[in-house]
Amino acid sequence: MNSTGLQVSNLSISFGGLCAVKDFNLDLPPLSLKGLIGPNGAGKTTAFNLITGVYTPDSGTMTLSGKSITGKAPDQIARAGIIRTFQNIRLFKELSVLDNVLVAMHMRKPYGFLAGILRTRNFEVKEKELIEKGQKILEFMGLGNRQHDISSSLSYGDQRRLEIARALATEPTVLLLDEPAAGLNSREKVDLMNKISEIRHQFQVGILLIDHDMKMIMGISEHITVLDHGEIIATGTPQQIQSNPKVIEAYLGVA
Amino acid sequence: MSLRHMILYIGSITLIFLVGLIIQDQLNPYILRVIINTGIAIILSLSLNLVNGCAGQFSLGHAGFMGVGAYVSAALTTRLFPDSLFQTIPGTGLAIILGGIAAGVAGYLVGLPSLRLKGDYLAIVTLGFGEIIRIVFLNIPFIGGAVGLAGIPLSANFFWVYFWVFVTFLFLFRLIRSSHGRAILAIREDELAAELMGIPTAKYKVIAFVLSSFFAGIAGGLFAHYQGFIDPNSFSFIRSVEIVIMVVLGGMGSLSGAFAGAIIVTVLPELLRVFNSYRLVIFPLLLIVTMIWKPSGLFGFREIWNFFKRAPKTS
Repeated sequence: MNSTGLQVSNLSISFGGLCAVKDFNLDLPPLSLKGLIGPNGAGKTTAFNLITGVYTPDSGTMTLSGKSITGKAPDQIARAGIIRTFQNIRLFKELSVLDNVLVAMHMRKPYGFLAGILRTRNFEVKEKELIEKGQKILEFMGLGNRQHDISSSLSYGDQRRLEIARALATEPTVLLLDEPAAGLNSREKVDLMNKISEIRHQFQVGILLIDHDMKMIMGISEHITVLDHGEIIATGTPQQIQSNPKVIEAYLGVA
Repeated sequence: MSLRHMILYIGSITLIFLVGLIIQDQLNPYILRVIINTGIAIILSLSLNLVNGCAGQFSLGHAGFMGVGAYVSAALTTRLFPDSLFQTIPGTGLAIILGGIAAGVAGYLVGLPSLRLKGDYLAIVTLGFGEIIRIVFLNIPFIGGAVGLAGIPLSANFFWVYFWVFVTFLFLFRLIRSSHGRAILAIREDELAAELMGIPTAKYKVIAFVLSSFFAGIAGGLFAHYQGFIDPNSFSFIRSVEIVIMVVLGGMGSLSGAFAGAIIVTVLPELLRVFNSYRLVIFPLLLIVTMIWKPSGLFGFREIWNFFKRAPKTS
């Protein structure tokens, strides 16, 4: 087993009697792009919530770059380098587009508390750097001209893009995208997918992608994990998944 | 800090000093009293605004922290060290700062366990703590108990009150425009999302609470050394509600709103004196009207200077 990237083994959680995720395994080497698919209610978002620490797993272990992150708090896991976006957009609505991105950069501790109050030289320099970096990321995501707008005033597609920009601003090593293309039209979807492949190299991150659109996820993922009723029913390359009878059964039912 | 800023700040403080010098003797004492009370109210609403407006946590016990500041500073100047350096102007200044620090410590002790709660639950817990603090004062004979503490040196005047208004404003203004302040704002917007962006939300909520309590303590110290007399009823639940009204009326999260709210809540009852007891009806009525037509408060999240800038495009 290599010690780089994200490794998740045998992660399980149940709510009451319902076993939401059982024995979830995942190996996400640096710079890889993997897909996580499954019918509604299969446990995809729950798996994300487990990895990001929103839920504490009942059992199982997680390591990032060889260090254990099992049972850590969400903010600690985020600072370790795992960042996600949300299926139902969760921006800082009343803050400007640029501020949304700047908030995300806070975890890199740009300057001390008093520096901001006293407006030291260090504060001025670092704040300028932050803003420049934030603007660069916004431009990359095609939001360069919207930076001073309140984020809730953005269109749905732009809000989705801002979520990704905000996640990238944290300089993650692993990026979890929870249905980033949900609600987008087909042209926007294609653009977004191209962007996601680009992100991987430009920002040097490993990406785990949840989506319903099979055609799209098959198109860009190197490797796919299929969940159904909380359990992994198949893993493999897109070609292997497409012809896997279990997957076809889960999606279409038995003929 | 640039030279331009330095000049601006020294200029502002000099201006406050000069205005104080002039109006101290020239102005009708009643009006002067209203102006100074307004200053104290501004510090209170600015400080509560950090917790209720910026961090989005609903605290209902602000008067308790004001009381800690008032009692600690007054105990220092009147009971613990009478006839000492604390009787002088700088000594009182020090006592007021120590009162603020004591209030900050109280804020830490209250905030640490209770900020795990959200919404209504936090409001109830802070309300409870506010009352506990008041009842503790009520039962300590050393600081006067129910009779109150009299004979506090009258060393707070227009200058000192507005000096602290300036300091509080500048501190909060800069805080909100720093990375740490943005972290606090993010908690208000979406606590879970903030946490998943790596912000230790519990820590920042406590920081906001402690700073807020500190400035409330300062306001309490100024209040004590301006009135010359304090009793536990000066820091009752009603006072807490009054401060909450200032913040809500002015606009949650807006510094200019905190100013506007404090001025309205302090000055309006004075202007309405002609209506005698009816003013107690008019005032809540105003609050209801605001909540119906402008529920985000007079300023909402915006600041007064935003209104002079070009409105953001919403294409």
